Amino acid sequence: MPVVDIDTDELRALTGHGEKTDEEFEADLFALGLEYEGETEDGDKQFEFAPDRLDRLSVEGVARSLRYQYGDARGVHVPDPNSPDWTIEVDPSVPDERPYVTGAVVRGVDLDEAALDSLIQLQEKLHATMGRGRAKGAIGIHDLTMLKGAGLGTAGGSLDLGGSLGAGGADTGGTDAGPVIDDDALDGSEPPESLDEGPARGSGENSITYRGVEPDGDQFVPLDADAAMTPGEVLTEHPTGETYADLVEGLERYPAIYDEIGLFSFPPVINGRRTEVSTDSRDLFIELTGTDQWTIDKMCVVLCYALSARGGAIEEIEVVYQGDTYPEEYGPELVRPDLDTDEKTVGHDRIETVLGVELDREEVVDLFERSGLDASYTLGEETTRYDVTIPPYRVDVLHPLDLIDDVGRAYGFDELEPRYPDVGTVGGRHERSRLERAVRTALVGLGFEDTLNFHMTAADENYERMQIEEGSGAFGAEEAVGITSPYSEDYTQLRTWALPSLVQVLENNTHRSYPQDLAEVGFVAHRDDDENTRVAEARRVAGVVARTDATYEDAKARLQAVCDDFDAELETPAVDHPSFIPGRAAAVELDGERVGVVGELHPAVLVDHDVEVPVAAFEFDLSGLA
Amino acid sequence: MRLPDAQVAVLRAASATDAKTVEQLAAETDRKPETVTRAAFDLRDDGLVAVDERTESTATLTDEGREYAAAALPEVRLYRAAVDAGAADEPVSMGEVIGAAGLSGAEVDIALSNYARKGYGDIDSGALTADPDADPDADAEAAALDALADGASEGGDGGDGDAGDASDADVDDDTLDQLERRGLVDRDERTVRAVTLTDDGVTAMMEGVETSETVDRLTPEMLTSGEWADAEFAEYNVEADAPAVEGGRVHVLRQAAERVKDVLVGMGFREMDGPHADAEFWINDCLFMPQDHPARTHWDQFALDVPPVRDLPEDLLDRVEDAHRDGVGDDGDGYHSPWAESVAREVDLRGHTTSLSMRYLSGQQVGELEEPQRYFSVEKVYRNDTLDATHLLEFFQIEGWVMAEELSVRDLMGTFTEFYEQFGITDVRFKPHYNPYTEPSFELFGRHPETDELIEIGNSGLFREEVLTPLGVDCDVMAWGLALERLAMLTTGAEDIRDLHGTLADVEFLRNAEVTY
Repeated sequence: MPVVDIDTDELRALTGHGEKTDEEFEADLFALGLEYEGETEDGDKQFEFAPDRLDRLSVEGVARSLRYQYGDARGVHVPDPNSPDWTIEVDPSVPDERPYVTGAVVRGVDLDEAALDSLIQLQEKLHATMGRGRAKGAIGIHDLTMLKGAGLGTAGGSLDLGGSLGAGGADTGGTDAGPVIDDDALDGSEPPESLDEGPARGSGENSITYRGVEPDGDQFVPLDADAAMTPGEVLTEHPTGETYADLVEGLERYPAIYDEIGLFSFPPVINGRRTEVSTDSRDLFIELTGTDQWTIDKMCVVLCYALSARGGAIEEIEVVYQGDTYPEEYGPELVRPDLDTDEKTVGHDRIETVLGVELDREEVVDLFERSGLDASYTLGEETTRYDVTIPPYRVDVLHPLDLIDDVGRAYGFDELEPRYPDVGTVGGRHERSRLERAVRTALVGLGFEDTLNFHMTAADENYERMQIEEGSGAFGAEEAVGITSPYSEDYTQLRTWALPSLVQVLENNTHRSYPQDLAEVGFVAHRDDDENTRVAEARRVAGVVARTDATYEDAKARLQAVCDDFDAELETPAVDHPSFIPGRAAAVELDGERVGVVGELHPAVLVDHDVEVPVAAFEFDLSGLA
Repeated sequence: MRLPDAQVAVLRAASATDAKTVEQLAAETDRKPETVTRAAFDLRDDGLVAVDERTESTATLTDEGREYAAAALPEVRLYRAAVDAGAADEPVSMGEVIGAAGLSGAEVDIALSNYARKGYGDIDSGALTADPDADPDADAEAAALDALADGASEGGDGGDGDAGDASDADVDDDTLDQLERRGLVDRDERTVRAVTLTDDGVTAMMEGVETSETVDRLTPEMLTSGEWADAEFAEYNVEADAPAVEGGRVHVLRQAAERVKDVLVGMGFREMDGPHADAEFWINDCLFMPQDHPARTHWDQFALDVPPVRDLPEDLLDRVEDAHRDGVGDDGDGYHSPWAESVAREVDLRGHTTSLSMRYLSGQQVGELEEPQRYFSVEKVYRNDTLDATHLLEFFQIEGWVMAEELSVRDLMGTFTEFYEQFGITDVRFKPHYNPYTEPSFELFGRHPETDELIEIGNSGLFREEVLTPLGVDCDVMAWGLALERLAMLTTGAEDIRDLHGTLADVEFLRNAEVTY
């Protein structure tokens, strides 16, 4: 679950509640669903919360929620953006795997250290959550004053500029090591023709371009580096590049953003150093790229609200998709950030049913407003209906029910009196679980210590150490259900039988006193493509008798006793089984059906498990007793 | 007076004037010391003898101690060699002196470290000086070793402990402590009991004491012959410890599961059953978990190396896909996430038993369910987590749900309050929470009965319409889940979950675990 780091002094300043103590904030935030986790090294408080209200991933968002909770704010607030001055043109060379872009301009932000930290945190947390580790959406924030917009109207000007690019490169990051423009590379990146005949143009004065770049194409100086590198070099030579290399692995062209000077951002990997944001930055350019337009638009809105809380003025940008790949639901020309509100309708009776309390209409409207929503109602024949306006930073409202949750939180779920539902039903155990319980009781009566072992194991434990071979036809040697890319070599498959687990318990308890009579009634599974899930699941009854004088008879005597208890007729015809001493192993047949094995474990098995006493053992299918 | 045989023997052997130890009495009566001790205590309880107890400590030389007693302590040998080499006048090379002293191996370090401690001289950068005033003959440790060596040889004949006692008395405690630290001496404490006749005892003896005929064991023959009627049974020390018996018992976590099942059945819940390996469809898609949800990566759940599931109910599959893409209801929105049937068909180990709830609610498991219903399971789930004292890759999840018309958050709170009260957890708190499949959702917190700490004890909520509508359920369903291990650790005080569960289990822990009921 996401964790947000909060400087409570900032929280006091942003909420305007200087009098609140840290402890009071902790209690108030618990009520909002944010749980205090501890402190960071810098003394910030850490709060964990479920990943629904992603607008609370920064102190600004948390402060906003608290202001609503305290009643200092009501209803929906939407910043009024200025009209666009900048355009992002999307060139058809953009990789198909990452087609979408959005963004915003924010001017006049007051970024002190704390505000900058908070912005960086918000960016990282959005990457981790909605951005799905930058794969679905990645954010780049730039110092606007360092960008040079290509003038619009000069068709193709933004890219048909070998010379400009070179000049820009020399300026890059103020280093001497200006990138050498390789003509072949430029040819390779091939400024697309469509640029000249682009169907649409933004109305803003300036434009930047989202396009594709060859891995060994243009160079730029990435953040935290001194030398210019190609995108390909960033992936192998820059630590951040190495971290995110797999996100662009296999792409023919990498995503890249250019201004008139040249390449300045390599999403989703890293920004260029030229446009790095510092506490001196006042005007910011935000760009987001990703695989889903809605997702990056919402991430952008959350950022804009946070910066707006820092005094920033939001300015729209235009996004113009010049190729065929544009988000179907929005068309090729967008104005962003998308600050449109959403509307949903919810009925009064449903609110009362879910919360279990009676409410009057004005109270409900009040609760909506205190949740940062707007609501008006119309009296209907059956019930009053509320038309609720939802602010654009909310990403969690998928259904009217989510609005009822907001009402409940504003009302205070703690205020609700628990009541036991007046619903009569008849309880009872599942037959299998009753049978398992009865067999366990019988085994314990015979002196067995009941054990509980893992269902996951490794082939070595399940087959080799028991001297059997997978698929050999011996009891227990059925084909394994493997775990895909296992995390630990100790757990690579489901166990096909239970005896190996018991022998492992013996192995781990050789320092404990004997006799050790252990049993388990538990789950096993093997591969069977005739099953719907391709996995045949079963429950087995297994026991081991480990003592200085254990013999075949000790296992058979106990096996017999259990079978007698359940009136199952037992026969034990001799079998060969490599886990047991030849001539001292038998199949377990219950009511004529072969369901298990009983015998004296082979000395090779015992020695391999460091067990120094003889062990007699049995295992059979629980269903044989049913 | 008639007394058991052993008591008569002890009474006869005891004297009113000379205290005799149990060992002496045992020798005189030709009985085991334990028998004499028991008889003496019985006689004392009858006021016939007095038993005087004192603690005696003995010191015996270890093998190393005996060696030094014979050949002198290494540091003494070093000092003598040093003096012989002229170290009393000027520093002498250490190596030379060590050679001359005949020291080798571990003895060298022992000699050097004790040399300076005892003030025999100084050791500085490989050179040795000897203090001319030091007197190795006055070395308390050496003297003590000698005394103990003599005592041991004297004590060899009597075996009554006096010899050790005497030599112990000759040596002061500090020196003994020092020798013990050096591993030259083993010290032992034991209780010595001495018996004297009391006045009553003397009187009883004068009046005459006879042995009563006692029977040790009741035999079948005595029962059939009727002999038992005249028999006097020897008294046993009924307070003494009996040999340990290890009966079997049901695993402590299974006991906890049984307890939970008892409570839930009592509350009207029926038990569910279903596959551990299941299609992602049942595990995740039905629960309205978007397919790019972080919890659906294999870092969180175990995917299995098998072909996709064979059959899924086609119409349900379509309805679930619709819910994911477009939401449910007029105002419903779907996820902005990719959705593919091939993902839904992949087979995983269930990460929660909510897959069972989905199967039951869909009508696929036991047929269509008419409200009201209550169902539960206490079954294993699998999470790709880090194995530590509180996390396992496999654990038991308690899952329960209630299906009825018009359920409210208050009903949910009432049900769970009731459930937790059965386990001594009162004052359950409900923290508003988010799950993809429930709304409203609550994390449940309770106070630890012993530490009073506020801890998470479950997760709950009302199933979303995006979950229920595709399943064809048109009333409300509230559900909750929690880890059985967490409840068990809370109620048993177990500190490492790995002691409980899995092949690393300690048999001794299982044998000693307190029974849950």
